[in-house]
Amino acid sequence: MRPFAYARADSAESAVRALSEAGPGVKVLAGGTTLYDLMKLDIEAPTSVVDVHRVPELSYIDTSGDELVFGAGARMADMAEDPVVRNEYPMLSESLWRAASEQLRIMATAGGNLLQRTRCAYFRGGEPYACNKRNPGSGCAAIGGADRGNALFGISDSCAAVYPGDWPIALIALDTEVDILGPDGERTIPLAELHREPGDRPEVETTLRPDELILRIRVRKTPAGRGSAYVKVRDRESYAFALASAAVAVAVEPTGVVTDARIGIGGVATRPWRVPAAEQALIGQPLTPESMRHAGEVAYQGARPGTHNVFKVELGIRVVADALRIAGERAAR
Amino acid sequence: MNVRVDARDKVTGAVHYGDDRVPPGLLYARFAVATIGRGRVVSIDTEAAEAVEGVRLVLTHESGLGLKNSGFLMSGQGFGFQSLQPLASDHIAYRGQYIAMVVAETPHAAVHGASLIHATYEEEPFSVELDADGVEVFEQSNFIPNHVAGDADATLEGCEFVAEGVYDHPAQHAVPMELHNTTVMWDADTLIVHESTQNASSIQAGLAAQLGISAEQVQVISPSAGGGFGNRNSLQMHTSLAAIAAQRLGRPVKALVTRPQAFHNGSFRPATRQHIKIGMNAEGIFQAAVHEIDQQTSRHDLFPALFTEVSARLYGIKNFRGHQRLIRMDTQTPGFMRAPFEHAATFAFESAVDELAVLSGRDPVELRLLNDTMVDPISGLPFSDRHVAECLRTGAERFGWSARNPQPGSMTAEDGSAIGWGVALGNYPAHVVPVIVRVHADARGGLRVEAGGHEMGQGLRSALMATIADNLGIPASDVTLIVGDTRAVPQHVTAGSWGTASAITPVHNALQQLRERLGLPETGPVDLAAAVTAAGGATVTVESANRGPGQPEAIFDRLRSGLVAISGPQYADHVSFSHSAHFVEVRIEPSIHRIRVHRVVSVIDCGRVVSPVTAESQVRGAVVWGLGGSLREASEVDPRYGGFLNSDMAEYAIPVNLDIRDIDVSFVNKPDTKFSPLGAKGIGEVAMCGVGAAIANAVHHATGRRIRKLPIHLEDVL
Amino acid sequence: MKQRTGTVFETSVQVRARVNGKDVELTVDPRESLVDVLRERLGLTGTKKGCDHGQCGACTVHLDGRRVVSCLTPAVQAEGTEITTIEGVAGPDGELHPLQQAFIDHDAMQCGYCTSGQIMAGLAAIAEGHADTDDRAREYLSGNLCRCGAYCGILAAVRQVAEGDA
Repeated sequence: MRPFAYARADSAESAVRALSEAGPGVKVLAGGTTLYDLMKLDIEAPTSVVDVHRVPELSYIDTSGDELVFGAGARMADMAEDPVVRNEYPMLSESLWRAASEQLRIMATAGGNLLQRTRCAYFRGGEPYACNKRNPGSGCAAIGGADRGNALFGISDSCAAVYPGDWPIALIALDTEVDILGPDGERTIPLAELHREPGDRPEVETTLRPDELILRIRVRKTPAGRGSAYVKVRDRESYAFALASAAVAVAVEPTGVVTDARIGIGGVATRPWRVPAAEQALIGQPLTPESMRHAGEVAYQGARPGTHNVFKVELGIRVVADALRIAGERAAR
Repeated sequence: MNVRVDARDKVTGAVHYGDDRVPPGLLYARFAVATIGRGRVVSIDTEAAEAVEGVRLVLTHESGLGLKNSGFLMSGQGFGFQSLQPLASDHIAYRGQYIAMVVAETPHAAVHGASLIHATYEEEPFSVELDADGVEVFEQSNFIPNHVAGDADATLEGCEFVAEGVYDHPAQHAVPMELHNTTVMWDADTLIVHESTQNASSIQAGLAAQLGISAEQVQVISPSAGGGFGNRNSLQMHTSLAAIAAQRLGRPVKALVTRPQAFHNGSFRPATRQHIKIGMNAEGIFQAAVHEIDQQTSRHDLFPALFTEVSARLYGIKNFRGHQRLIRMDTQTPGFMRAPFEHAATFAFESAVDELAVLSGRDPVELRLLNDTMVDPISGLPFSDRHVAECLRTGAERFGWSARNPQPGSMTAEDGSAIGWGVALGNYPAHVVPVIVRVHADARGGLRVEAGGHEMGQGLRSALMATIADNLGIPASDVTLIVGDTRAVPQHVTAGSWGTASAITPVHNALQQLRERLGLPETGPVDLAAAVTAAGGATVTVESANRGPGQPEAIFDRLRSGLVAISGPQYADHVSFSHSAHFVEVRIEPSIHRIRVHRVVSVIDCGRVVSPVTAESQVRGAVVWGLGGSLREASEVDPRYGGFLNSDMAEYAIPVNLDIRDIDVSFVNKPDTKFSPLGAKGIGEVAMCGVGAAIANAVHHATGRRIRKLPIHLEDVL
Repeated sequence: MKQRTGTVFETSVQVRARVNGKDVELTVDPRESLVDVLRERLGLTGTKKGCDHGQCGACTVHLDGRRVVSCLTPAVQAEGTEITTIEGVAGPDGELHPLQQAFIDHDAMQCGYCTSGQIMAGLAAIAEGHADTDDRAREYLSGNLCRCGAYCGILAAVRQVAEGDA
């Protein structure tokens, strides 16, 4: 790990000021589960770090109003356990506790989780693997390589690395906004505008500027939250990243007809991926094995698999259908 | 003795593993590795590393190390997990090989320094897959004869039923929890090595050979290892480098191999491809079998494939042809990883047997019982003991096998999951190695027992303590047990499930000698303090040396020289194996088709069970390994780069707690006294053998799909 | 450099913490991990380093009463915290915690290298209320790999103590 200068911020404002003053090469440190990990691998090499992990004003969860509000410093473990999250938005809770391990969830924060970087082995493996994300212009070893873990959506000729987070898959399916503090004050963007597809600049993963700090994540409350589920399939039962996942929420009339549907898919895309077409395919339909399977098929239209990840199309379809089945049961309760 | 004797130290964090030493003045070493698949280092820039604050030394192949080759353990005359010593020359044999060691005042300065090492290379073509261009095929019969009996090929022609298949097994890594490390220091001319190992004497002798000093000048201390599984069974390539650094700097050095580096600088289970044919007559009797194996090895060493040693002895198949080839390629040398060949061999062979059961409509348990034997078809010698039938019958009973509907896909759980029930056998050779034991009894009633053998978690200490308590009737608190320490007695490699079986005999014999010296009766509890006092009060020392049946007296010279000295499984008038039967229930989710091992029943025939508590744990652990080995683990290779791609504990998926459910363990527990007086045989590996096949057979029963490669992933049954 | 905001960038940081009930004051490099500081500087080698990347759980300790992996905790973040390691679990006279005893009784270990982390995770899981059923306990103990495969014993030990506490 390269040497770096460390500063502990005591407020969001002082953190942002420190970011500006530190100039290029500065990074925000929160739970450390991504940044410090990648620094150990020499993949991240900040020259200075602003630690916001214990900034009190960032560490809160407020689910009392018409929004679920998560301070950027709220811990994944705490968000998963929040009673409103757990009871009214099971997919949010499940997407949190099905990620990583409890130790890591206690450390990792809401803001950091949004910004988690890919687990692509060619990215993390460092030299000598070609990786445009890590070493712009070097190429992409994953395309045409061991691509079982590669993305099917949002890929480019430069990069097919999967966005690895779980919670943001659930967030993207809801109406989620992100409040950001920069040197010029606060701005708000929809979550959908936070992450970039790789295009020809895979090293630029978000629209966040280096001197900006995520303040909070706000989710508009919806009755569909109650009828939601996060299904995650991986190579072992726990403590692993998704091969394919689905976050779905449905509102269902007493007649059984779907009035609202939200579907996000994970483990298969370069950024949190919402599939409005699949949502539309469900609305006005009853939840049947056929309609749920069909929604999955629509969700996976346009998938671009490589060699070893072809199975993720069929798997992903079934994961969407399975998540809808569970969500439908919950909605009917 | 119903607890693990070192359990208290383990639950309080008090056990000292190799990495736990922090002597005054300690320096830290980290490594930089080659980024090419093969070639040579043209230039290496160490300036930036040397400029890092706190860095004290950088070693490269240009540092005039004068390192001699330690030789390859399995050559019979060497000590290393491989013969290739990094930094001894500019040669790069594989990606991930060490090219430099950086020594610094702090771990973070060493890490930083290592990251600044930059080399330029001359690259050469390389191959890292069994069927790649550029590999060399080597007939193993050049140094180990193939197992052959009768005429298998001709007999197969006339068989009613033939099961034939090609079975692929990937490379796998042992990934013991404790990273490879060493802490070395010089005391005048003596080199003291704290390193968790399964083979302290190979480190001792190997370092002496490499550094050009005498073995007496090297002490290796390894009271406990944080997992072995074969991965620590010989001299590692980092230790001599640390020793040189410690010498040059005049301070202790602790070297740590990172997890990704350990995937490339330690042994691993080699990739294999097996071709199997088994022929059976209408009566259900196996007539002939052909078992052909291609196994990966390195370019620089021949790591032998010993698959047919077990497959030829699973049943009484009179016509058998084994054929083992080694495929040389550009990786580090593979090696012994828990049931190194037997896990893959029994997966393939027992899958084929299941296929014959399906083809002929016979029950898989009945078919196996029908083909049981008490005679080894290869040598014609009897098994010293063999309770395969009892394993099968007990297992079937405990599992409830009689309720099985043989029709694939016919059994369903309440949640709609497909249920599959599978059975398979395992076997593993029973070896004995020479062990020396020294016992000191003092007038205060204290007993110091110094034994050859290493504690890696398998429970050697507990087994020895049980043997001592059994013999003398004294409490464990009176006993100081020294294992894994070359200052005490020579330390043969503890592997191959021979550790306990080999060590308890000389412990028992030494205690009998002690009784004799002290004028005590041959059996029954003793008052050591009184006896030693009566004998004059001076500490009484006795020594017992035991070797395998048929091994010459000179085998102790090999033991003292740190060389392998294995006997068995074929002895003068018998062959000896441990046996197992595993019954597995898998459940496969209706839609997503996740494969879950719902329950396992394992019955083990390992002769006498010396330490029941640790033995049971070993079996459970081996079943977990069987699950990992057949549903989870594969070391991925990208042929464009060489080395291993998924070289960390997130991407190389070993089982987690949630993967594991009920594992029912029982033992036949009948001493095999023809094998040894105490009648104990190995457990740790036979308990893994057959688990993979039982799972694969259960998957077939649940889905009708015969998967002939491991690991089986959900996409294989989607 | 002193920032006008009062946010100070340092390459050498004073850290004060309470470790197993004792006050500790150290100057650390911001690169240093908590696991390295505990093991190499404080001699608390019961905490193990199995991967250094948060992938195995062997380095689990409690920070202000909650479990964390100490390999991914920069030591600077320990400032002002209370840390408990395996060495701080038993009573002052070496009296084992019931979970330690349960680990012995269920032989919930083999090589022992993951055991400290398993116990720290198990204690936390019980305190969190995540050990109330077998399956939940399995899930919440899954961040601690045991390569020897002692999972059945680990589960039994944690469940026994969780039930006893209930």
